[in-house]
Amino acid sequence: MKTFKNIFLALVATFFFTGCDAQIKNQKTETVKVYGNCGMCKRTIEKAANEKGLVKANWNIDTDMLTVTYDQTKTNTDAILKKVAYAGYDSDAFRAPDEAYKNLPECCQYDRPVKEMAMANNPSEHQDHNMTDMPQNSDVLSAVYTNYFGVKDALIQSDGKTAATKAAALNKAITAVPMDKLKPEQHTIWMKIQNDLKTAAKHIAETNDIKHQRDHFASLSESLYTLAKSETGRNTIYYQKCPMYNDGKGAFWLSQENTIKNPYYGSAMLTCGSTVETLKP
Amino acid sequence: MKSLLSLFIALFTLNAWSQNVKEYDLYVSDTIVNYTGKKVKGIAINGSIPAPTLHFTEGDTAVIRVHNKMHHETSIHWHGLLLPNEQDGVPYLTTAPIKGMSTHTYKFPIKQSGTYWYHSHTMLQEQNGMYGAFIIHKKEAAPMPEYTMLLSDWTDANPHEIERSLHKANDWYAIKKGATQNYAEAIGKGHFKTKLANEWKRMHAMDVSDVYYERFFVNGKTEDQAPQFKPGEKVRIRVINGSASTYFWINYAGGKIDVVASDGMDVQPVPVDRFIVGVSETYDIIVTIPEKGNAFELVATAEDRTGQASLWLGSGLKQLQQPLPKLKYFEGMKMMNDMMTVGGNMKDMGMNMSLQQMDMNAVMYPEITEKKQPKKSAVIPEMSQHDHGQHGGANPDIVTLNYAMLKSPVKTNLPDGPVRTLHFELTGNMNRYVWTLNNKTISESDKVMIKKGENIRIVITNNSMMRHPMHLHGHFFRILNGQGDYAPLKNVLDIMPMETDTIEFHASEEYGDWYFHCHILYHMMAGMGRIFTYENSPPNPQLPDPKKALKMVYNDDRRYYFSAEVGLESNGSDGEMRLENTRNFFDVEWRLGLDKKSGYETEAHFGRYLDKNQYLSVYTGFDFRYHNSLERDKNLFGQMSTQDQRAVACIGIIYQLPWLINADMRVDHEGKARMQFTRKDIPVTERLRLWGSWNTDFEYSVGSRYILTKYWSLSAHYDSDMGLGGGLVLTY
Repeated sequence: MKTFKNIFLALVATFFFTGCDAQIKNQKTETVKVYGNCGMCKRTIEKAANEKGLVKANWNIDTDMLTVTYDQTKTNTDAILKKVAYAGYDSDAFRAPDEAYKNLPECCQYDRPVKEMAMANNPSEHQDHNMTDMPQNSDVLSAVYTNYFGVKDALIQSDGKTAATKAAALNKAITAVPMDKLKPEQHTIWMKIQNDLKTAAKHIAETNDIKHQRDHFASLSESLYTLAKSETGRNTIYYQKCPMYNDGKGAFWLSQENTIKNPYYGSAMLTCGSTVETLKP
Repeated sequence: MKSLLSLFIALFTLNAWSQNVKEYDLYVSDTIVNYTGKKVKGIAINGSIPAPTLHFTEGDTAVIRVHNKMHHETSIHWHGLLLPNEQDGVPYLTTAPIKGMSTHTYKFPIKQSGTYWYHSHTMLQEQNGMYGAFIIHKKEAAPMPEYTMLLSDWTDANPHEIERSLHKANDWYAIKKGATQNYAEAIGKGHFKTKLANEWKRMHAMDVSDVYYERFFVNGKTEDQAPQFKPGEKVRIRVINGSASTYFWINYAGGKIDVVASDGMDVQPVPVDRFIVGVSETYDIIVTIPEKGNAFELVATAEDRTGQASLWLGSGLKQLQQPLPKLKYFEGMKMMNDMMTVGGNMKDMGMNMSLQQMDMNAVMYPEITEKKQPKKSAVIPEMSQHDHGQHGGANPDIVTLNYAMLKSPVKTNLPDGPVRTLHFELTGNMNRYVWTLNNKTISESDKVMIKKGENIRIVITNNSMMRHPMHLHGHFFRILNGQGDYAPLKNVLDIMPMETDTIEFHASEEYGDWYFHCHILYHMMAGMGRIFTYENSPPNPQLPDPKKALKMVYNDDRRYYFSAEVGLESNGSDGEMRLENTRNFFDVEWRLGLDKKSGYETEAHFGRYLDKNQYLSVYTGFDFRYHNSLERDKNLFGQMSTQDQRAVACIGIIYQLPWLINADMRVDHEGKARMQFTRKDIPVTERLRLWGSWNTDFEYSVGSRYILTKYWSLSAHYDSDMGLGGGLVLTY
């Protein structure tokens, strides 16, 4: 009786496994190196490699070896390793894109066999575009501009929290402008716009709601433009327009670069807009 | 003695001249290829797809014998070359077609240098594989190693079948691409309103390209290898887009790309992260193989991102480039909704768009729009400090080439001459695949007469929903891009929807007809172009019967396309057959019952589209029907309807309403009026379509169709006369 049961189980097992194997036709099995770290890596690697009915993959966490069984008429090891590399994992055939590697969770960021690809002519990869870090210069209005650009950059990133912080700093900078040091014509303009600037800055600082902030940013920008026309600080300022904002009525902003990075829609309409005026110092 | 000397001189000059002659023999033949596991027809030159690369040096005389080993005619056009008109290779327009089993010899002096290419200008042969690189080297030796990257698109489908499907707005290709943009998907992505608004504005699913391609190629391969380049080496890559209808993004895993020439003409080097190469454009770029013993991927991704092809530079471990993520179609749809008026015009909202500077498609590019979220990780707070670069900030910094960045190294001002300005509006109807300039096809418009010595300035506005690579034969034009005297010279202008660009060229040739057309093959064949003709051109000896020849040219866009939808269902057969071209249509509709009781109905019409957007058409036709079972009823207009028996002639008018509803108002010779509303093919899910119709005789029907293959669907519908039925539908 017991033998019978064993035979039965063995039969079931055989059917079961052949059933599984039969899914992949024209089978070929190979074992190749794929670099990785942890259990999470295992899941990611196997998920990237597996393809129903075509590829079955098993990655060994101790040896870093990936065993793939695949239909050799439909795919090959290179194609499988490419998919694994796109998921962030290096092999001896492909080096994953740096972007994919960086996107791996921290615990999965294994030691790469080839650490860095020397980028041939890639000057200063991370140019600092964060204007708020600029050293204060002696120019009396520079703090206002600097913080304004800080607000603008935060809005480009649709980052309401940073926008609020920068706007608070802007508000302070506006109050701190030494009016006696302004030239007469700017003094007149400053008197006119000072309150508008402060109100707008305050409103932006008070909320993290990006929509609300952008509304006030529109009026902030227009006020500041009247000043920029006569005094731009030290740098060239580009007066730029987003034609779609506010139901097609449009809105403006100031920027230190000619390239359009629209603060009113963030990423959705990043390059939408045009420079309407170039204000030279 | 003197005669001996002159003989000697004559021999010497002859010798010198003959040294400069470079000869090629090209054998064009039908072939069978297998790229995808399926054997299909292709056309090869000297046995290969793509055709062999031809190399010349500036100052050579080219002699190229084209041996047509096929039983149908062909042609070869030398793209971007300055040459006598009869050598240009447009069959029937400039050059005699190369008949089956015959040889044609081209001979022309090479007066320029740079990266060009050649292809068939006959029907859709280019799609079948008739394209090759045409490289002209400068007289002085090349300063660095170089490699040619000829890009192309491949489909297993018969190109004529593709063309027919496009004219029928069959969305099978969208299904294959996962780009049907159906309602279920829209709801799932929170874009129901967007989809609704889109259809309200009478737009079908929008895409950046029309055709589904099985493969994309670099030099005829999905992956091409160039292991000969050493680390640290600078390499000039000659990128040629020889595809029929695919734009390609170019990205490099080894760093920046220096763009140094376009369409064969040098530009001042511009470093970029990526650029798009329009159909038929060429770019020369310089890339550096980084100082590590590896191979780096230079990858060309189809604009619709359904596939890519790579060139590996260097040898060793392969450094992959991050592939471009899938397009966010609904973002694009939303943008289109904003840009399109209900009247079917594109409005640029005062943005003065030009020169590819503002890529509205960027709303669909996840790599530009999506802020990188820090990955799930237990230690986010700490890593976010030093990992500043990962947070979104990096994305806006991708430098993409646009035309405003191209600057010629030398002044390109045109010679003095009278200036004439022409305005071309690029127009089109996506639903019927009609593509025109100023709402006229090539055959519908007169040739544009030009005089030698005058300067032609063309202001082009793209009022269609797709981008178009406009190509001018035999001349270079300047793109007025703000670079003043140093405006770049090109022969292809990619113009995006809503853009307005200005180009100008000097009428420097002596005579002949020069094509100016959209280089997307299926747009050109639909008639999107013009012919520039020099006044007082002498007769072309290659075209003994110019009238007949011109008619052959015009026939390309006068062709009729056949389509049919035949239902075989349990309650009878419904169907429609259509024959249509740019403006006209013939159609026959029928509903046949299975027995005498349910009777039959047939209608046949001949009609014509009237307006620019082709919302409006008129028709005349006749209508037969017989129903045994039906009672006569009054219709909505109080007239006694003739549902039971009818044999009338009628005239009618069809207007496409918002939400793609066709309103059909007609009156028959007995004075009976009928108004019918029909909406076809509402995309509910990827493969499920709903339709419905109702008319003032109080007849109605609703149905659904589930698409199985390109030609077959399962269907079910209810008809007020025929009742409920289900079965199969053949869509041809």
